[in-house]
Amino acid sequence: METNHPITRRESLKRIARISAGFAGAALGVSPLLPIGTTHAATADNRFLVEGVGSKEGYKIKELTRKVFEAAGGMGQFVSKGDVVAIKPNISWARRPELAATTNPEVVEAVVELCLDAGAKKVRIADHTIHDARRCFALTGIGHVAKKTGADLVFPRASLLRPMKLNGHRLDVWRVFVPFVEADKVLNVPIAKVHGLSTLTLGMKNWIGGVGGRRSALHQDIHQSIVDLAQFFNPTLTLIDATRVMITNGPSGGSPSDVAVKNTLILGNDPVAVDARAAGLFDYQPNEIGFIRLGQKWGLGSYDPQGLTQKKVAL
Amino acid sequence: MRAKHLVWIRRISQTAFLGFFLFLLVESRLPEDVYLQYSLIFSGDLDLRLDHPVKFFFQLDPLVWLSSLLSGHRLIHGFGWALGLLVVTLFLGRVFCSFICPLGTIHHIAGSVKPALKGDRMIQANQKTPGQRIKYFLLITVLMTALITPNLVGLIDPISLLFRSLALAILPGTGLGLKEIFDVMAASDIKTLNYLSYAAEVIVSPVFGYGYPVYKTGWFIGLIFLVILFLNRIRPRFWCRILCPLGALLGIFSRFTLLRLEKDEAACTDCKLCSRSCQGAASPMPSQTWENAECLSCFNCFDACPEGALSFKFRWAPKSNRRPDMGRRAVLGGLAAGISLPFLTKLDGTEHHVSDPRLIRPPGALPERDFLQLCQRCGLCMKACPTNVINPTLGEAGLAGFWTPHLIMVQGYCEYTCTLCGSVCPTGAIEEITAREKIERPIIIGSAYVDRGRCLPWSGNGPCIVCQEVCPTSPKAIYLSKQVIPGPNSSPVEVNAPYVDLKRCNGCGICEYKCPVRGRPAIRVIAAGESRSIQNQILLTGPVS
Repeated sequence: METNHPITRRESLKRIARISAGFAGAALGVSPLLPIGTTHAATADNRFLVEGVGSKEGYKIKELTRKVFEAAGGMGQFVSKGDVVAIKPNISWARRPELAATTNPEVVEAVVELCLDAGAKKVRIADHTIHDARRCFALTGIGHVAKKTGADLVFPRASLLRPMKLNGHRLDVWRVFVPFVEADKVLNVPIAKVHGLSTLTLGMKNWIGGVGGRRSALHQDIHQSIVDLAQFFNPTLTLIDATRVMITNGPSGGSPSDVAVKNTLILGNDPVAVDARAAGLFDYQPNEIGFIRLGQKWGLGSYDPQGLTQKKVAL
Repeated sequence: MRAKHLVWIRRISQTAFLGFFLFLLVESRLPEDVYLQYSLIFSGDLDLRLDHPVKFFFQLDPLVWLSSLLSGHRLIHGFGWALGLLVVTLFLGRVFCSFICPLGTIHHIAGSVKPALKGDRMIQANQKTPGQRIKYFLLITVLMTALITPNLVGLIDPISLLFRSLALAILPGTGLGLKEIFDVMAASDIKTLNYLSYAAEVIVSPVFGYGYPVYKTGWFIGLIFLVILFLNRIRPRFWCRILCPLGALLGIFSRFTLLRLEKDEAACTDCKLCSRSCQGAASPMPSQTWENAECLSCFNCFDACPEGALSFKFRWAPKSNRRPDMGRRAVLGGLAAGISLPFLTKLDGTEHHVSDPRLIRPPGALPERDFLQLCQRCGLCMKACPTNVINPTLGEAGLAGFWTPHLIMVQGYCEYTCTLCGSVCPTGAIEEITAREKIERPIIIGSAYVDRGRCLPWSGNGPCIVCQEVCPTSPKAIYLSKQVIPGPNSSPVEVNAPYVDLKRCNGCGICEYKCPVRGRPAIRVIAAGESRSIQNQILLTGPVS
């Protein structure tokens, strides 16, 4: 079927389910019937954004994360009892947390705990990393988070990267990391960094870590690729970790001098609005960033403050 | 002790050591669940290491110790095990060969389970032959060569040979075979088969390697191993009797063994059952003279004799022990070959003239000459490498460096803070370094250059910057500069063109690995600039006035 408009994840999932019923579920030992009734994140009227700032010396990042979710109405608003939740941190690089190349493990730990408290049946942490996954798991601290909280850390093995139709404007069939399409709820927990081509890497760009295959070719049309992927994965929530951000030498960094401490977390259900707010931390206007502009154009969300419920929490 | 018991003790010991060897072999890689506590790593560097003593069998191998000492003048870490083994051999003979050696056990199995020869033909095959002198010839050749450099012991040392064959050929080959079966199952219409195929990968990949590693020349390594196994059909334990240099070394050390085969000629009925089951072709029959240097102390003859004419006893009788039958020709031939071989290896000019640009050694590798004095070509670094970048050489390092490790950047890359290869190297040919040392010293393994004709931005074929994105140094060794280049239809286009700053590049190769231009990437790494060499440099180094 030819289509020149972005289709919903629900539609694409139905098609996948038809072609490869049961593939994805089997791998993780859950029901092969895909839970396709995921709520579509940002509808026009209930867009919200919560910004949490840790202004006091020695504030606890986990505490701030909990406060931010509280302000959004609690995790129970988004994660229901018995849900399978997939969390997508950015752990692309085998770097220690201090270097701000990867999502802060304390943020991820708090999110996992909140999901479990909200009654999630299973929490999976997954990322198709750039560096070797085993080293990324260990050095970013995410492996430790999984061990501590009892979440599953999904190794990006070949059988979990299945070709699926993305039906994007630019991207058609790509290998998709199945934990993200077969979860009931998907939470995107990226870190904010600078990037040589897309200027910034925030929430929507984090979905490059959700696919496999010839990822390095995505750079030839990076902004549209990002939007296509964000459209496909369509997370329930996006929580941008900007406690430490990378301000230069991104996205890999490698030196503490590449890092600035911002003590900020941005949570929202509108991927465009969340990214737009995070771009502000780097002194960019939303329309200066290609994928934010395109995200608005294709209707993923809006950086227009009108109709956006905004809250601020401080610690 | 009764003979039956001794044989069973031997079998249990063989099984245990073979099992231990295979366990360490499988564990010679990062596990999936390697965790570091993030409160510890948050601002400090912790190096990932393997949990198991994967070097153990190399430390136990006296040939590895001796050749490293002769060639590299180094005592390798843990060499006490090897010395202990030599002391044991002095008293008990070649017990290593029949109780411990995993390759010996594999040959033992291959030669005893459904043997190719029956009855008299087996007795004939188990008679001592002059061919058994070849192993002394090989031992002298490799030790003499090692004394001069390079150290070629690892090509035929049984532990190195077995590890290399299993790690680089048999395991990956089996893993790939299984993967193909699973792929067929996954494509099947039967749902149960689909499920099974997914579950199977979870079980299979920790054993056969994450991401199904492959190794250049792996087919050749595997073929040689299969041929050596096949030789058991000509003579049982063909390798151990005729070719194994470690067997030869231990044979020499068993000159004064106290554990002796005592024969009672009067009780012998000449049934030849002892000879039929003899593993070492060591002339166990009472009518022959026992060859203590050939005897593997397997106790088969003791067990087989129905008349009680044979028994193993402890006795100090150096006079009745035989000298190892090396033969003058094997000794002189070995010396001659050992002197010629080092010079033959210099003829390809890799040592003094031009080194191959593809010869990128693992991080921490010693300068080439020192490296070749220590490297056992065992493949442990290649097995341990998480990105599968380390591969055996074919011709890149010349004859002297055949099957030594080098990095193929289209197959993987050297991860910026990974120092695993040095931590597993049994001889220290690759130094054990920390991530901090690797970055701060710095350890440079090569240098990258851009092929502008193939590079997407440089050739006007579109934006890219992947090499700059993945460059791990801070500041990045690959930087972008806005350039106006002629695009299609002669219209000028502005691109972000990548450049390499050689002062910062450490040659890790992630740029080459991740470059979207397949086949021959548009950015490539060559060995020039490697910090281990004084000569193989590009830039003028030293302080700037």
